[in-house]
Amino acid sequence: MRGEVYIVGDEVISPLGIGSESNFQRLLEGGTAIAPVTDSRLFDRTIHAARIDETQANDLVRETTRYTRLERLFILALQRLIDKHDIPLGKDTLVVLSTTKGNIGLLANPASTFPQQRANLNTMAEVIRRHFGFENPFIPISNACISGSLAMSVARRLLRYDSRYKRAIVVGGDELSKFIVSGFDAFQALADGPCRPFDRDRKGLNLGEAFAAVYLSKTPVRGAVKLMGAGSFNDANHISGPSRTGEGLYLSIREAMREAGDITPDFISAHGTATLYNDEMEAIAFQRCSLSAVPLHSLKGYFGHTLGASGLIETVMAIHSLKNNELIPSLGFAHQGTSHALNIITQPTKRPLNTFLKTASGFGGCNIATIIQKM
Amino acid sequence: MEKQNYAIRSYCSIRDRSIRVNGNNFFDADPSAPLGDFLKSAYRKLGVDYPKFHKMDGLCKAIFIAAELITRESGPYEQHMALLFANRSSSYLSDNRHANDVFMPGNPVASPSTFVYTLPNIAMGEISIRHQLQSENVFFIFDSYLPEFLVPYANATLDSQRFERSALCGWTEVTEETCDLLLYRIGASGHLTHSIAQLKRLYNKEDE
Repeated sequence: MRGEVYIVGDEVISPLGIGSESNFQRLLEGGTAIAPVTDSRLFDRTIHAARIDETQANDLVRETTRYTRLERLFILALQRLIDKHDIPLGKDTLVVLSTTKGNIGLLANPASTFPQQRANLNTMAEVIRRHFGFENPFIPISNACISGSLAMSVARRLLRYDSRYKRAIVVGGDELSKFIVSGFDAFQALADGPCRPFDRDRKGLNLGEAFAAVYLSKTPVRGAVKLMGAGSFNDANHISGPSRTGEGLYLSIREAMREAGDITPDFISAHGTATLYNDEMEAIAFQRCSLSAVPLHSLKGYFGHTLGASGLIETVMAIHSLKNNELIPSLGFAHQGTSHALNIITQPTKRPLNTFLKTASGFGGCNIATIIQKM
Repeated sequence: MEKQNYAIRSYCSIRDRSIRVNGNNFFDADPSAPLGDFLKSAYRKLGVDYPKFHKMDGLCKAIFIAAELITRESGPYEQHMALLFANRSSSYLSDNRHANDVFMPGNPVASPSTFVYTLPNIAMGEISIRHQLQSENVFFIFDSYLPEFLVPYANATLDSQRFERSALCGWTEVTEETCDLLLYRIGASGHLTHSIAQLKRLYNKEDE
């Protein structure tokens, strides 16, 4: 039996606030970060998106000429996590960084004041590493919209099988840019109003910005949760369209549940981007896994789709749901809108919670499922 | 101490304008040939009929060719064979194209067919479709070829697999005119030991 891996700390920076607890409270109050955004630096039309007010972060990380906006937000999230848990920076601490596009906003951008080289993900990761003085190079992962959950699974595997590491930080983030907004618009994936995951009238996604981190350890502490199982399988079907059978997600969930000892989760934190095909694919996969009756939410209605941060921020919110024994409603849902009905959470509900399933799917046909349990 | 439980079954390198499989030349072109022409000629030499190849960006094309050659040498891929790739520039070729499109003065446009390739793991999606691989994909971004990380991570991955312990791993750095690729297939048995020293040797040997 391999050693267990625990999540012993977490941190979230989102437009809803700084800190995991305050973000969790905002969700229970029904607060959403999605708002109309009119900014020609992002897009030539008004979009609905969740954007961080960077002046909040400037107070805490002031070196605006030395670090890009994205780097400052990464640094802020890491600084808070390190301070709170007094995390050592030496050789036995692994840092895995998840992002889909990093500093991509600098590329070919005439308004950029940083060298183009900074758009390289490894260069960015090295800038952040040096800020803190971590001894190990960061391990950056760019694996589409499953990057955050995948980075956690990679860190877990290294902690279990590679004796050089005692603990790991997994940090994920992405920011809005003309690059990303224009691309999703070209895919006709953007909703013209607040997104409505799993709803009959869903019309696409909202993009969002967030930075989230978890602290993994082989040693449990009071209040820790345990990573029970993970599974990740490709659909082998289409590079930009979800599978019609949900095959890769189905296999991922089955594997995660098997590893966790076939426990039925108390709730599911789904990917739920609110595009027509993604949500339908997920509903099929959950039905195939006999999980249609399990209470389920997507948090995209609060944070938007935060890309490389999404798997992490949604996992952290679900951990707080476990700790508080309170289910978070799925914002934007009113009517069943998938061919297999799901048990969508519509009200904050107090009940004993022990285990949840987190899922994510992304371009390239990738999927991941993770099971997390209270100690 | 480094574990050496697994073996390299087959490997392929694409360096400058030369493609080698298990150390034997498959295809060479004039070093001054444009990379796109070189990859297209190599595809023709493969003799497969896969029209989607022509829609792919340079990163996907190079990986497609190497994955094709490795399975020819070592047999059909296991359905759940993990894909563990790394490079320095992520999806820079398509990123640069999309960024220039959206910042084009006077006429900004975004093409979905370019944007879809602005993620490095799309290449893993492409070969998953081609070879019907339903498996774990991880794309790492490093400053340079790093067997010191990838070898132990691949060992951990195979250790954690329940069936068909196998992975296709490697370094896949492709830019506008340069290609520095070494893909290798690992499993329970094979001719070469899967170790950091071996992977360093193979990478350097392909440069000679």
